[in-house]
Amino acid sequence: MSTELKKALFNISALADLGQAITSENAFHEKIQSVFYVITGTFLANRGAILSYDKSAKKLNTLLQKGFDSADLDRVQPDELMSLGKNEPCLIGTDPVLAVSGAEILVPLWVRDEFIGALLLSGKLTVGPYTLEDLELLNVIANQIAIALNNHSLFMDLAEKLEENRRLYEEMRHIYHGTLQAFAAAIDAKDAYTQNHSHRVAKYSAAIARELGWSEHDVEGIYVAGYLHDVGKLAISNDLLNKVTPFTPEERAEIRKHSTTSHNITSKIKFPWKSVEDMVWHHHERLDGRGYPDKLANESLSDGVRILSLADSFDAMTSQRPYRKKMDVPAAIAELKKCLESQFDNKIMLVFCKVLDKEIKGELPEPDILPHLDKTSDLSVISALLGGIIVELSTPKSGV
Amino acid sequence: MKSVQFNVTSRLDGDVAVIYPKGYLNNLSGESLVIECGIYIGKGITKIVVNFSETDLINSIGISMLLQIIEDLRNIKGTICCTNMSKFLRDTFEMLGLIKHMHVFPVESDALKYLKAGKA
Repeated sequence: MSTELKKALFNISALADLGQAITSENAFHEKIQSVFYVITGTFLANRGAILSYDKSAKKLNTLLQKGFDSADLDRVQPDELMSLGKNEPCLIGTDPVLAVSGAEILVPLWVRDEFIGALLLSGKLTVGPYTLEDLELLNVIANQIAIALNNHSLFMDLAEKLEENRRLYEEMRHIYHGTLQAFAAAIDAKDAYTQNHSHRVAKYSAAIARELGWSEHDVEGIYVAGYLHDVGKLAISNDLLNKVTPFTPEERAEIRKHSTTSHNITSKIKFPWKSVEDMVWHHHERLDGRGYPDKLANESLSDGVRILSLADSFDAMTSQRPYRKKMDVPAAIAELKKCLESQFDNKIMLVFCKVLDKEIKGELPEPDILPHLDKTSDLSVISALLGGIIVELSTPKSGV
Repeated sequence: MKSVQFNVTSRLDGDVAVIYPKGYLNNLSGESLVIECGIYIGKGITKIVVNFSETDLINSIGISMLLQIIEDLRNIKGTICCTNMSKFLRDTFEMLGLIKHMHVFPVESDALKYLKAGKA
């Protein structure tokens, strides 16, 4: 086989090596390192550099280099290279503008009309000159490298935009929650006795839903429903809400309108979570169908409604009201248990007891219920009570 | 053909480091060859024998690694001897003109004899 044929085969093999390096699943810096080795190995150049163009800073950055003076590379002006042929190797010779000590050949890298960077190579270790075939091969290689660099740059731009979008989404979410909290504060401010009630109901509901295995998206939905469940109270007069004496039937009917008003308000909002308005609407329904506004019962009540109903009642019981004193935590838990099956759901009660017990035992890093309970509560008593209920509700009923 | 993961072993014979690359010298794992030689050069060794008996094939990436070793040794006025080369390896080095930058021997013992005779 003639030397020319062997050289041609070696060149074809080098192009295959380049393709393999560029299309490998390696990280970008490994890819570019392999590409660099392919080029220096193919042309026997003991020095080389791959520079990439930073469009925003209008400067060339050294991606990889071997053997050149970094300061020399920093002096290469992109504007000077842009006037040269696209992906056409040019011999540097004595051109002072392109002078990088030790560099013999320079290729400006382009993809279509986009300047991507440059490739620099020293003379060959074997001292011989770059042949016409070498320059043609270098042109093909330059095209491939330019595309690889451009693809990486596009990918990085995309990743940056994705990150920016994620950041904006988080900001919007933050603002959204801030708005909800402001709304909740407005609701709770109408009634001196229910300060932070919406906040606590949101927290309790989210804790139960999370323990029940809901996705974080759905947990966020019930958290929002907790914040907004009493938004309809904005339409009720302060005098009525803060009345100390028992309500008349008319007044009770007026108060009971608030869940429907809450639904009417929230249904105007396009929430990214399902069923927020449904949970808000029916949080005063009961399993036995004696709740309001629609007297829904059993299967008609979603888990979300059942959670919100229990969380709302538990907080109402453990909060001071104008017409009664607040219950202590064990009494409130006992009351919830008494109302199981008629008002509250066994499964939700079991999960509520489990999550509160875990919080008391320090098994949850960020407790949602415990920090809002009466600080004078005897936690060992509560824990024992919860333990008993957990065993009872976890045990299948006999005779079924 | 079953591909062998490239690896390098070595031994010191007097003041000569003998390096044994094993496998296809065609990707970044070939850097271990440069690193192994660099360790000996760092210790003041200036004579290196690369025994290619278990490396039949090399590509442009492998050539680049070899260039690095040749240059590192040239910088310290050292000597590189290549032995036990397959026909493919020898033809490739010849075609590229690399053969002028190394001493080639059929077998490792010939290279060691040459280096120990102080002819390098």
